[in-house]
Amino acid sequence: MTSTLLPSTGKPTRTIRRQSPLLRVMGWELRRSCTSRLFWLQALGFFCLSSFMIWARQIPLTLNHMQANVLFLGYVAGTSAWGLLMILPSGTLMLLGLLLPFVNADGVTRDLHRHTHELLMATALPIRAYVWGRYLAGLVMSLGLALLLLAAILGMGLFLHLTVADYPAPEIGIVLLLWVGMIVSATIVVSSLSFALGTLLPRLATLVKTVILLAWFVGVEIISIELGDASHAANFSLPAWYINWDPTSNGISLGLFNKYMTDFSNLASKATSTAQMQHGILTVENSLIDLAGWFAPHLLLAGLSLLLVLVAALAFKRSREVLN
Amino acid sequence: MELMIDRLSKRYGQHVALRELSLRCEPGLLGLVGPNGAGKTSLMRMIATLLEPTEGSIRWNGQDTRTHGGALRQVLGYLPQDFGIYPEFTGRQFLRYLAAMKGLPGALLNRRVDEVLSIVNLEQEADRKLPTYSGGMKQRIGIAQALLNDPELLIVDEPTAGLDPAERVRFRTLLASLTRNRIIMLSTHIIGDVEAVANRLVILREGRVLADTTPEALLARTAGSVWSVTVDQATALQLQASYQVSTMINQMNGLTLRIVSTTRPHETAVVVDPSLEEAYLLATNRQEVRL
Repeated sequence: MTSTLLPSTGKPTRTIRRQSPLLRVMGWELRRSCTSRLFWLQALGFFCLSSFMIWARQIPLTLNHMQANVLFLGYVAGTSAWGLLMILPSGTLMLLGLLLPFVNADGVTRDLHRHTHELLMATALPIRAYVWGRYLAGLVMSLGLALLLLAAILGMGLFLHLTVADYPAPEIGIVLLLWVGMIVSATIVVSSLSFALGTLLPRLATLVKTVILLAWFVGVEIISIELGDASHAANFSLPAWYINWDPTSNGISLGLFNKYMTDFSNLASKATSTAQMQHGILTVENSLIDLAGWFAPHLLLAGLSLLLVLVAALAFKRSREVLN
Repeated sequence: MELMIDRLSKRYGQHVALRELSLRCEPGLLGLVGPNGAGKTSLMRMIATLLEPTEGSIRWNGQDTRTHGGALRQVLGYLPQDFGIYPEFTGRQFLRYLAAMKGLPGALLNRRVDEVLSIVNLEQEADRKLPTYSGGMKQRIGIAQALLNDPELLIVDEPTAGLDPAERVRFRTLLASLTRNRIIMLSTHIIGDVEAVANRLVILREGRVLADTTPEALLARTAGSVWSVTVDQATALQLQASYQVSTMINQMNGLTLRIVSTTRPHETAVVVDPSLEEAYLLATNRQEVRL
């Protein structure tokens, strides 16, 4: 170590401000995450697992229909609108929902645990920029995972279309709509909830992750088991608010099943040949039923979850005594 | 530049960490010493705006840091006692990251990072991942980040804890080289750290200022209160039980003790020149010694 006098940069050090603090925090946080090999391995693992799950559920729902001595054995393609509505909530979307609390909950609390908090809080960095920058960096990474899921759906859909007979090509417009309505909205909700609660309750960050993870699992799997069998009954119906507002999209899956089946049966009853039946199922599986009912509420949920982040940002104090 | 601390108190529930502490600091190196739990870290955190005072105020150039904390943080360099790193980063990336958080723009940022790396002599290791750094190198990265914004107020809390003697000496020399045109507050319970570099010494105990002086004045005040005596082991044990013994050396003709006491501890004891550590011991234990 030398004992050189510190070269002074004088005024410019203290007055030049070019990039907004929010963008600075966000950019550097993303850069920090990108330097981690683990981050890339997780992203690759998620993409591969998502692709595998879509491939494994390529025949999620086999339909046997007997009409006028014509026996039809068909299936709903997993990457069609009907197929995605059926398989996403309990498949790849649940996987994403279980992963996101770990990406977001520690956005701010990680600094407390690593003892880097004091270094950052002693700088002139505005608190709002720090909290929102960390949140947005986490959200960008989460949306990156959602994009990987979209790539897995489209990529695997195309692969199956090219390799499996009669497997329809994914309708890009429909897949994008469902991606925005189901996956993006869920990504924002889980990311915001995880980040806000993790920031408000820094000592309970692990508990926050566990509770959100369990809540998502229960919301998808337990309710699915409870209602799944009943949903196949002809007179089954779910409350509209559950179908429209359930952030896991499991409500849509359960609620719209009978509507799709009804549409299919109506077409199938008029069919006189296997070809007509096949055409019928293709028509039904790529139609979006009741899109308006749940699409807007899901986006609204995502918007509301941002309010939680706002609360966390307002409640965050530079001089919080959690340090002690 | 001036830092004014006025009747500052800090309480954690029933525990009082600081009691109506007042200080006025001007450029130079202020050594803040005191036993563990004296309130040094609480004081430093409050100055760094990381803790809210319970009572009293801290003013930087006349502005209360509660309402104008941003102005202080613009010119603050802070090295906490226990700071963490981002294991994903190299030393250079870590400094760039913190320089960006401090608001340094791109071109200046890179130049400044190179400068502070040179100051702490870490240019060769700058591109190694931080987890591979030794304790001393981590401390040097810590001081480097505190210097990034060319601070007017530099606060370093127990910077030499865990460093080997050679690193400690280098660290002290580095701090001494930085004193021009800035206020440096160096908190430590190792007197040797401040002995050579501080031009002002504040001794804290139980949240109060026990002495606000210079090392020279403290030494002068201790003159005649440090004794050297060589005795047998049994007598040495008796003396140790009754007086503040600063050193005990085993020699051929018995044990040689250095004793801090305002009265002659033994008929063969002779007055010797005090070290700053002994002056500190006398100041912090004066009450007990009197009892």
